[in-house]
Amino acid sequence: MTDEREITLTVNGTEHTIEVEPRRLLVHAIREDLDMTGTHIGCDTGNCGACTVLKDGEPIKSCLMFAAQADGAEILTVEGMEDLPEADDIHPLQEGFREEHGLQCGYCTPGMLMAGKALLDEHPDPDEETIRDAISGNLCRCTGYQNIVRSIEYAADELENRAAADGGAVATDGTADAEPAASPEGGHATPEFGGDADTFCGREDCCGGPDGADPFDRDALLDDAGDGDGTGDADGRDDADAGADATDRGDTK
Amino acid sequence: MKSAPFEHHEPDTVDEAVSLLESLDDPTILAGGQSLVPMLRFRLANPDVVVDINGIDSLDYLREEDGSLRLGALARHADVEDSDLIDGEYGSFADAAPLVADPQIRNRGTVVGSVAQADPKGDWGSILLAHEGEVIATGPDGDRAIPADEFFLLPYDTTLGEQELITEIRVPAPGPNEGSAYHKLKRKTGDYAMAGVGARLVFDDGVIESAGIGMTAVDITNARATDAEEHLEGERPSPDLFAKAGELAAEQSNPESDEHGGADYKERMVDVLAQRALSDAAERAGTVTVERRVTQ
Ligand SMILES: Cc1cc2nc3c(=O)[nH]c(=O)nc-3n(C[C@H](O)[C@H](O)[C@H](O)COP(=O)(O)OP(=O)(O)OC[C@H]3O[C@@H](n4cnc5c(N)ncnc54)[C@H](O)[C@@H]3O)c2cc1C
Ligand code: FES
Ligand code: FES
Repeated sequence: MTDEREITLTVNGTEHTIEVEPRRLLVHAIREDLDMTGTHIGCDTGNCGACTVLKDGEPIKSCLMFAAQADGAEILTVEGMEDLPEADDIHPLQEGFREEHGLQCGYCTPGMLMAGKALLDEHPDPDEETIRDAISGNLCRCTGYQNIVRSIEYAADELENRAAADGGAVATDGTADAEPAASPEGGHATPEFGGDADTFCGREDCCGGPDGADPFDRDALLDDAGDGDGTGDADGRDDADAGADATDRGDTK
Repeated sequence: MKSAPFEHHEPDTVDEAVSLLESLDDPTILAGGQSLVPMLRFRLANPDVVVDINGIDSLDYLREEDGSLRLGALARHADVEDSDLIDGEYGSFADAAPLVADPQIRNRGTVVGSVAQADPKGDWGSILLAHEGEVIATGPDGDRAIPADEFFLLPYDTTLGEQELITEIRVPAPGPNEGSAYHKLKRKTGDYAMAGVGARLVFDDGVIESAGIGMTAVDITNARATDAEEHLEGERPSPDLFAKAGELAAEQSNPESDEHGGADYKERMVDVLAQRALSDAAERAGTVTVERRVTQ
């Protein structure tokens, strides 16, 4: 009855074959079997949206689907954002969240980014109401949403500017357009990203918090073994998160 | 919490699914999973076998055929939301779809699964009742059509047999003088209804020939407001007529007080929502525009 089954998930372009029990949730397969802990678990009941991923391009809550049901599917998680064709080191949405302060603790951010990505894929130029509708399945307990809306608007503008600068085409290799068409109007110089946490803006309360880790810098975070909880690092309490997850989500519960 | 272990079957055809339901012990059907997965997780449901119907492509449709709108068991809430056919002709469905849960849940959850779930707070049951629709089930003895009126028994309990699969729900396609609408009051975006009312009106020469009203979250099941329906039939629409219908619907409703509102308040909301749904339905039927009575 507890037979495991072999399934194939293509996550962020990489194919993974794993063995899962039928009762294994997609979110647990992503976090625990594939060690991609950028996808968060907030409520476990379908209410909070922290576990949002794109399955075959559509946003879904990965705590409401069994992994076996995603056999053969293409999954996009927050870790894959920076490798998307429209990303330039980091994805315009991630840039938007940084520039517009679209996050505080960062717990909801991976889900917000995925909901925002799905929205912009369908409506490149959304109005505020459309944005609010698109993130209506994602709860944020910190920001009050205003800055999240602005962050997504920022990304929409950025994508449009880049498309205009490229003569209508978005860069597909992720290397073109090294200089963003519209430089962000933040209160500090645009930090450069290159997998090294030292290259941040340097401000204590900005770009990743007191430990200086960049919430969007996947390489640095993945390199940091034993922690790896990408976006969750924004709260600077990543290890505590990881510990809580390990006990909370284990077989014993 | 994890679900208890279960066997996962993925039939490709309805026949296969029905024979699994017939031959296996203690099976449960899995559609969008947006209600069932949490129930499995909380161990409110502990089936030995899960029959996952997501691979039965023949159930993935939303179309008009032989005078009915038919939604196959794999038509998702988002399919209704995105459908031009729905937008043009089925006001109540078009109103309700974007009000069900949130975008992620609408991408997975199915209309049929929602009807099967028989949660009194579910939106689709009220619409099925307002349209006097049917639930089409297939079981070991073949197909049968269950009128919406005879489907809902208790919260989470229906007249569906244990070995039956719902293949579709259907409602009569609207004639030229028909209009429908759905109004829902919720605490915040994405929530279940505190109260909801679906209405459908069919006119004959300016007179209401037939009326259907379904109510959400104000009784132990989705419920019809039959007194209000009777009051409307044979009459010409007017603010007073709709006000009386709202009052009758509220009287027939049976809400419970909870943390979101008292029973009196919810009854009052049934009245208001019914008037709104009726006046939208009348306007969409193209017959008249009925001013809404000012509500205090
Ligand atoms: C956070 C949240 C908010 C929600 N808000 C709303 C809301 O505002 N309004 C609303 O109406 N709903 C709401 N829902 C419920 C949602 O609409 C579900 O999609 C729906 O209730 C069940 O549909 P499903 O396809 O997901 O079915 P499942 O969860 O797969 O199944 C539900 C039940 O129906 C049975 N079933 C499913 N399909 C069939 C079939 N073809 N034949 C026989 N039995 C079948 C299953 O065995 C199970 O018992 C919400 C859910 C969540 C998690
Ligand atoms: S963890 Fe999936 S919606 Fe909250
Ligand atoms: S929950 Fe959204 S930033 Fe903290």
